[in-house]
Amino acid sequence: MDWQAVDGSFRDPSGFVYIRNSTLYRQVNQPFKASFDAFMASGLYDELASAGLLVSHREAPADAAATADACAVLEPERIPFVSYPYEWSFGQLRDAALLTLELQERALKRGFTLRDASAYNIQFRGGRPVFIDTLSFEPRDEGAPWIAYRQFCEHFLVPLLLMSRRDIRCGTLLRSHLEGVPLELGSRLLPRSTWLNPNVLFHVHLHAKAQARYADVALNRPNGRRRVMKRDALLALVGGLRRCIRSLDWSPGGTEWADYVDDNSYSEAAGRSKREIVARALAPLGAGTVWDLGANTGEFSRIARKASSQVVAFDIDPAAVERNYRRVRVEGDTGLLPLVLDLANPSPAQGWAHTERLSLEQRGPADAVLALALVHHLAIGRNLPLERIASFLSRLGRALVTEFVPKDDVQVRRLLRNRADVFPGYSAEGFEEAFGRHFRIHAVHHVAESGRTVYQMTSCHAFA
Amino acid sequence: MYIDPTAGSLVLQFVAAGVLSLLAMFSRVREGAKSFFKSLLPGHHRWTGKP
Repeated sequence: MDWQAVDGSFRDPSGFVYIRNSTLYRQVNQPFKASFDAFMASGLYDELASAGLLVSHREAPADAAATADACAVLEPERIPFVSYPYEWSFGQLRDAALLTLELQERALKRGFTLRDASAYNIQFRGGRPVFIDTLSFEPRDEGAPWIAYRQFCEHFLVPLLLMSRRDIRCGTLLRSHLEGVPLELGSRLLPRSTWLNPNVLFHVHLHAKAQARYADVALNRPNGRRRVMKRDALLALVGGLRRCIRSLDWSPGGTEWADYVDDNSYSEAAGRSKREIVARALAPLGAGTVWDLGANTGEFSRIARKASSQVVAFDIDPAAVERNYRRVRVEGDTGLLPLVLDLANPSPAQGWAHTERLSLEQRGPADAVLALALVHHLAIGRNLPLERIASFLSRLGRALVTEFVPKDDVQVRRLLRNRADVFPGYSAEGFEEAFGRHFRIHAVHHVAESGRTVYQMTSCHAFA
Repeated sequence: MYIDPTAGSLVLQFVAAGVLSLLAMFSRVREGAKSFFKSLLPGHHRWTGKP
């Protein structure tokens, strides 16, 4: 077998995604031929792809098929970095939800429907969400309801409501509930006041009650007559969901890190010196992809962006990531992707057989990793030994630009102010020794008017 | 259909469709009634029975 299936795509029997000779393909299986042909002939694909709402593809030759039951093979445009809903900020999940509803509305107007509404069908490209599952569209049976309505509510509406009305950290529920946050759980966790909101009452609370009430009920009528849902009613349902999601907001302010850029310990000269050092360190690397770990609102990600085509800016703080995402949308930077990530507990491989969703490490390596003002948080704030930090970072990227912040720095003093200093090895010498085991250190730069040091290194890890 | 829509979700959509149909019907009746009573006023055309 000279192809490898992409494991996030095996649940839908209409087709699957695979890689052959480093090229990404999507196979359309024979049973879905009529639906796929109708979709392509309807003009809906052209409409959505030209509007940038659906990933475009070109038809591949038949001999690129992976199995004998292929009726068509597509070569879709590749997404530079695959991210998951549990890594998105509030605004990213909200934009992904609105995109799904727009697709369903446009599909309905052309006599089609989305047969699933998974948040995993969306990726971010060029700072905006794009739908990646071409096989999600099928002709709508006249009078049929929206099969994916519950899935939409559990993948988008419930998490967004919980993040907006309860606590932004409820977004992490998506990591433990890969098939969406159950309606019943959402209904129980939401504040009582949401029962007074007609949209939330209908789409979440009554929806959860109806699920429980009709769990064991078959909906076929004894007289064989079919219940009918008109297209206008479906469009009204989609419109109601859209109004509900548009009304949700979350203000990313007041967290320690979202304000870090405006309220840090650098003097103006130190900040300028560090920016120049980082720009000089990244420029000769010619990196295609840079992962900026602990990116905050993306100040250094934007410097990295000048030296690379794609920067993924990770931060633990949802407020900082939200601010970064809003800035990306305003600036229209097509090569910067902000994501929420706790590096001390990074996204694992999960889903069926640990293969459906890739870990952070499996999505690498990056050409270069930027880890500025980060190591002291991991070493002192999270009690991670320097050697383990170095080992993990060496597996994430081929080159590393990182910073050592000494114990007498105000930020480290802040971390130690209420606790015993149990970190005797946390010193420049200890840092160089630990990182020297996993990297070759090329250059050391001292940041002006600061005790901080920026290191340029190359990983010793043997990447596949 | 490869995902389970669940019966409760379908029932709720049919309820929504029913409510929307009723609202649309009331709206049509109201427009018809308004049109009828307007036609009784002097200076208006004869009521045709259409809203």
